[in-house]
Amino acid sequence: MARLILKFDAAVLQEVPIGARPVSIGRAPDNDIPVDNLAVSNYHARVYAEAGQLMVEDLNSLNGTFLNNKRVERAAIRSGDAILIGKHQILVDEEHDAALPLDAGRKVAAPIVNETVMLQTKQRRELLQQAAAAGESSQFAPARGRVASLIVLRGKTDQKDYPLSSRLTVIGKSEMATVRLRGWFAPQVAAQISKREDGYYLGLTNRVPRVNGKRISGPTRLNDGDLIEAGGVELMFLYRD
Amino acid sequence: MRVDIGARTDVGRVRSNNEDSYRVVPALNLFVLSDGMGGKAHGEAASAIAVETVAAHCLQAAHNVHPPFFSKPRPNFSEKTNRLASAVHWANRKIHLDAARNPRRRGMGATVLAAWIDGEHLSLVHVGDSRAYLLRAGALEQLTADHSLAAERARRGYLTYQQAETSALQSVLLRALGTNEEVEVDAGEHLLLDGDAVLLCTDGLTRMVPRHEIASTLITCPSAQAAADRLVALASDHGGRDNVTVLVLFIEMGGDSALGRLRRWFRGSSRPPDATFSAGDP
Repeated sequence: MARLILKFDAAVLQEVPIGARPVSIGRAPDNDIPVDNLAVSNYHARVYAEAGQLMVEDLNSLNGTFLNNKRVERAAIRSGDAILIGKHQILVDEEHDAALPLDAGRKVAAPIVNETVMLQTKQRRELLQQAAAAGESSQFAPARGRVASLIVLRGKTDQKDYPLSSRLTVIGKSEMATVRLRGWFAPQVAAQISKREDGYYLGLTNRVPRVNGKRISGPTRLNDGDLIEAGGVELMFLYRD
Repeated sequence: MRVDIGARTDVGRVRSNNEDSYRVVPALNLFVLSDGMGGKAHGEAASAIAVETVAAHCLQAAHNVHPPFFSKPRPNFSEKTNRLASAVHWANRKIHLDAARNPRRRGMGATVLAAWIDGEHLSLVHVGDSRAYLLRAGALEQLTADHSLAAERARRGYLTYQQAETSALQSVLLRALGTNEEVEVDAGEHLLLDGDAVLLCTDGLTRMVPRHEIASTLITCPSAQAAADRLVALASDHGGRDNVTVLVLFIEMGGDSALGRLRRWFRGSSRPPDATFSAGDP
């Protein structure tokens, strides 16, 4: 079966087989090949088979569809052709079946691993700007990357509050601990807080801390306002804006 | 304090050459790995320069040669952490210069991940998408943030982290050694506890093997070398699409007493203090 390969520079971003249905390309997420770039129209172009011949058709896009560097409205395509949409390239590959070594017949659960490429500064800025623009409109955006703090409510520590900026914050008497406990009987390490991609987690060490009065049984996600008891101190976990 | 060390690299089932390199310096408890890129033999060359440069710079510093700092030391970091960061800056320049002198090597680059353990202090520096994990009390925490487009977009809220882990954008690095004259290096320091396991690995492991399998391997294997062997075998079982390198470090604290030394002697697992070994050695 023939396939289309979406590339940005050397990076392969997506591979789509061409079946009976036309393959749509555009910025809107419901396209078969969504291309996240402001130079691409919502429904930019489509690829389909007509009497055994593969065709590409521009859908009145603002910036045009290019086949091997020539602007086209509608054109026949074959293996080895390159379609340019915005700054993304779509390669046509009709000899797909031959190119499945080793893993044929094996279900591939892992993602396709391509040659690693390095983005140069200008492309990088562009891609990140797009990502940022898209991120701002995303419902997830505000919750991400917010730094939380620990406020000391009770017990002897070296400060009264601590921003949780590092990936691993240790609470204990050890001189490497971020939240340093002062009491005579304080443990070297009472608890740790890890900053994961989706939030902060209170974890076990060889001690078992409590969250809102309950002993935790494993890494426990912290919510705004949670009360933590560890090593004889009481701390409040707070997100601050 | 004692570190039980396991190390293994493998070409995988798809690639024909291994572009990963690693270097272990047991005398310093210094561990470096690198994943090269650039095709042909150039990825291998870049990763070899990376690990050799980092190891040599730190060895010089440890033997009081006082090499210059190639980056400005930061006062909030220990000397070892600053030394590691300096070593990575130096490796970046060496790869960049090498590529500039050999036009055929243009575009070659490498990730780097280096750990230096000094008692309970772990210094960690990295550039790229090779990862460090800490297993403590049965939970696996990632200590490094990938410098890949997928990870950056997830941080900006455009992808979920689950999507990022399977995204093709993982192959697009935002930072690597050798591709520019200067590089931004991430550095961090962590406290180690008795019973901790530290895993350093290239993306050939993390893109093939699910996190929970990595955690259970580290928990169940009796020795660091057994864990390293098992992780590489798992990467192959899951498809082995890329080169894979893993360094596994089991941390044992409080072993410097006479009793601790005696226990170790009985287990017979000490290595000659000055030996170093790397990917090419038998």
